[in-house]
Amino acid sequence: MFRTCDITGFKVDLNSEKFIRLNAVMAVVSLLLAIVAAILLVFTRYQPVHLLDAEWYYRLTTFHGLNALIFWIVFFEIAGLYFGSTVVLNQKFCSPLLGWVSFVLMVAGFLLVDVMIMMGKADVMMTSYVPLKAHPLYYLGIILFAVGALLGVSLFFANVVNAKREKNAGETLPLFTYGLVAAAIIAVITLATGAIIYIPTFLWSLGLIEAMDPAVYKLVWWGLGHSSQQINVSAMVSIWYLTTFLALGGTSINERVSRSAFVLYILFICLASAHHLLTDPATSSAWKVWNTSYAMYLAVLASMIHAFAVPSSMESAQRRWGFNKGLFEWLAKAPWSNPAFTSVVLACIGFGFIGGTTGVIFGMEQTNIIVHNTLAIPGHFKGTVVIGTTLTFMGITYYLIPLIFRRKIVAFKLAQIQPWLFFFGIAILAVSMIALGQLGVPRRHWDSSFSGGPFTHTFNPSVDFFWTLMMLGGSLAFIAALIWVLQVVVSVFFGPKITGPQDMQLPLSPLAPAAKEHKGYEAPGTLVLTLLFLATFAVLFFVNWKWLAATWWVK
Amino acid sequence: MSLLAPSEGWFQKKVAKDERMWILIAFAVCIFLFVWMIMWHVVGRQNPSNTTYKTNPTEFAQLHDAYVKKNMIGMDNGIPVVKPEPGSDVILMGQMWRWSPALILKKDEWYNLHISSKDLVHGFSLQPSNMNFQIYPSYDYVLKFKPTAAGECKILCNEYCGIGHHAMIGKIVVIESDADLAKYGYDKLSAAPADYSSSATEEDISGWSNEQLVKAGETVYNLKGCSGCHKTDGTVQIAPSFKGLYGSKSKVSDGKSTFEIQVDDAYIETSVTEPQKHIVVGFEKTQMAKLDLSANELKQVTAFIKSLQ
Ligand code: HEC
Ligand code: HEM
Ligand SMILES: [Cu+2]
Ligand SMILES: [Cu+2]
Repeated sequence: MFRTCDITGFKVDLNSEKFIRLNAVMAVVSLLLAIVAAILLVFTRYQPVHLLDAEWYYRLTTFHGLNALIFWIVFFEIAGLYFGSTVVLNQKFCSPLLGWVSFVLMVAGFLLVDVMIMMGKADVMMTSYVPLKAHPLYYLGIILFAVGALLGVSLFFANVVNAKREKNAGETLPLFTYGLVAAAIIAVITLATGAIIYIPTFLWSLGLIEAMDPAVYKLVWWGLGHSSQQINVSAMVSIWYLTTFLALGGTSINERVSRSAFVLYILFICLASAHHLLTDPATSSAWKVWNTSYAMYLAVLASMIHAFAVPSSMESAQRRWGFNKGLFEWLAKAPWSNPAFTSVVLACIGFGFIGGTTGVIFGMEQTNIIVHNTLAIPGHFKGTVVIGTTLTFMGITYYLIPLIFRRKIVAFKLAQIQPWLFFFGIAILAVSMIALGQLGVPRRHWDSSFSGGPFTHTFNPSVDFFWTLMMLGGSLAFIAALIWVLQVVVSVFFGPKITGPQDMQLPLSPLAPAAKEHKGYEAPGTLVLTLLFLATFAVLFFVNWKWLAATWWVK
Repeated sequence: MSLLAPSEGWFQKKVAKDERMWILIAFAVCIFLFVWMIMWHVVGRQNPSNTTYKTNPTEFAQLHDAYVKKNMIGMDNGIPVVKPEPGSDVILMGQMWRWSPALILKKDEWYNLHISSKDLVHGFSLQPSNMNFQIYPSYDYVLKFKPTAAGECKILCNEYCGIGHHAMIGKIVVIESDADLAKYGYDKLSAAPADYSSSATEEDISGWSNEQLVKAGETVYNLKGCSGCHKTDGTVQIAPSFKGLYGSKSKVSDGKSTFEIQVDDAYIETSVTEPQKHIVVGFEKTQMAKLDLSANELKQVTAFIKSLQ
């Protein structure tokens, strides 16, 4: 059963719409759980309040990690994959029955995991490094969730293949769907690795396997843990291109380049899990250097390519719309009243300047010594996966509400400032966590006064400043995320129904006019921005190596 | 197009000048980073070690016990203190929830630290220098360190290892000469009790006086890591204090019911040999680790607990 969208003209399969909605709802529920836990964590680590006791602090750290990093993101991605493989291709959902099976498995896994954590049966952090052991049902929950997600990914492939066969999709896949295909391929590799590690761990927790090697566990676990981040990056970058199209009518200035970058992700990303093992015994330096550098940084290169391709697609479209003055008129006159656009631009900035710079530096074999397992690490991925992925997903939801849920966004003015609040909140949170980590403060640590220990330690006095900053940033981010959740829930359930294109609050741009003819630089503003990024990177690079050189000698 | 098939001729389109420039710069940066890491192995002074030995927790614990017994020069808050010779092999063990032993090192000398864990994965985090390494059970990670600044350092644990994780903190003191020891209160350390090394597993100790047993028991308490969780001054955070424990009544649960039990030799023995049999009410969350004590050590530590009235 199809309906024809009166706004976009796409044929929308009603089954597909249902599964997109269901998965999106579960995503929002997960995010809500995650941020409620997060604010409690923030006020526990902020020592003047020190809210939770040790037991609940560790329990909620586990809970926060899983609900945010796994459930929120994967549910949303499954929704996105269905959207990209049906609506965008005018394609029907291949098997509603399997759609239900996938969804039910994922929800069952989600419930099992969360209930086990809350019952105190799985205080093991999301990484559950053996020999820490959780209740078997916890591992079973993860396995069910992963199987459900894998099924969802297969349905995506089936839809795409059908669309090609039935010639609904045209000769070449749209860039958005192409990026999602990359994400889905990485997802298959990732989930297979997940099976390799979680199935034996499950059997071990049941007592059927005698012992698990802790080093092997950590190695394989990160094959899952890291590669899954690359799913996020691919999905996120795809949405960046999508938003440029929806908001400005533009596309990559050279689709061949953008598409090749996605291929680089697929080819090289799976090696990168080494950057979680840089200061571990059991593997050699040669292995570490080769792998952490993504086989000579070819995956980093892919991200750098997108770092140019995405903003330049915006710049090029804007220039063709006539905002051609100077270097930055295209940016100043961009549609900042469109919250999806704002989210994506801020996500790009945060992802690059906070997440990207620190990611590359912390992921080098030697500089990892001064940050491994400190608060700087969660600080780094607050830049990538929270400002980057999460804010992007939040932003694109502003399009999903009218187009898929067919509702107007309630309190639209609030939606226009929400991305800014979230951006600044997380940016402050992330930067203070990075600073604290570089001053030695550990992550996953209940009490920085070390009560009950034989000794105590006093960090550099400037930590007090950053603890306060982190608390403020965390609170701001919490409020912003809560606004988003409330707005989505209220709009979806109580918002005025959309009756036609006139109800659309976010503009859908027509295609940007074709370029007249141009010589030389196509996106000079972008080039300046990327060079600025490079300069920031160079400064941070220098500072970190300087710090490293000041530590004890070790070999 | 992002949502539509790309426009005609997309595959042949030439890469714009600025985009080509950026890709070349980015590629150069990638190569630079790769080469830099390799070069640092040649010219840099901080490189994660490549030496690891396979071991197992029991074996490493024995190694640790023997090393500490042989070399300890005193105690600091329940942690044995060792002053290794420059250039020597040093054993450092992480266990729930302490690093043992505490070390006195000389500035600008090399030491081969063998670090491993007796139970879970731990994180070796040297402060304020801020150097961090991952420590596993079953792997002996050999890190050659040369301290470059004098002063008092701490070893935090930065890998979650259970409820007492935050209390897992060890100590390394770096001195320039022995005169510095006074600064850290390490000039008057009393060496181990004379009969300490004889708290051996095999020897017949039936003739020992109570005083001898208590002294040896205190060492067992410190050496085997009881001190990591049980305090002797009445403070309770992770586990019940040993002060006044002997002869009192403990409220425990065996999983089915809760009841009071008399703390005597037999109860202490089961507490150690089968920690999960009776769980003290109020400590259900913090699990006591299983520590292998010989019959002699058990007898000695029991005498020590008895002496803490
Ligand atoms: C990892 C922390 C830890 C270590 C190390 C540890 N214990 Fe315990 N111990 C506990 C906890 C927690 C309890 C209370 C819960 C229980 O009974 O299991 C406990 C309970 C006991 C009790 C019963 C106390 C009571 O109030 O009834 C005794 C006796 C005891 N331990 C002896 C020892 C001895 C002797 C050692 C050293 C050989 C030791 N423990 C090492 C954590 C520890
Ligand atoms: C309101 C927004 C958020 C706040 C205030 C927040 C706060 C925090 C804090 C304080 C920690 C550190 C815990 C510690 O080690 O002491 C943390 C860890 C973490 N956060 Fe968040 N967070 C937020 C949103 C998110 C989102 C959206 C994601 C994922 C998409 C996320 C993923 C994680 C992960 C994976 C960890 C690591 C958990 C672990 O160590 O096992 N967070 N967060
Ligand atoms: Cu990673
Ligand atoms: Cu720990």
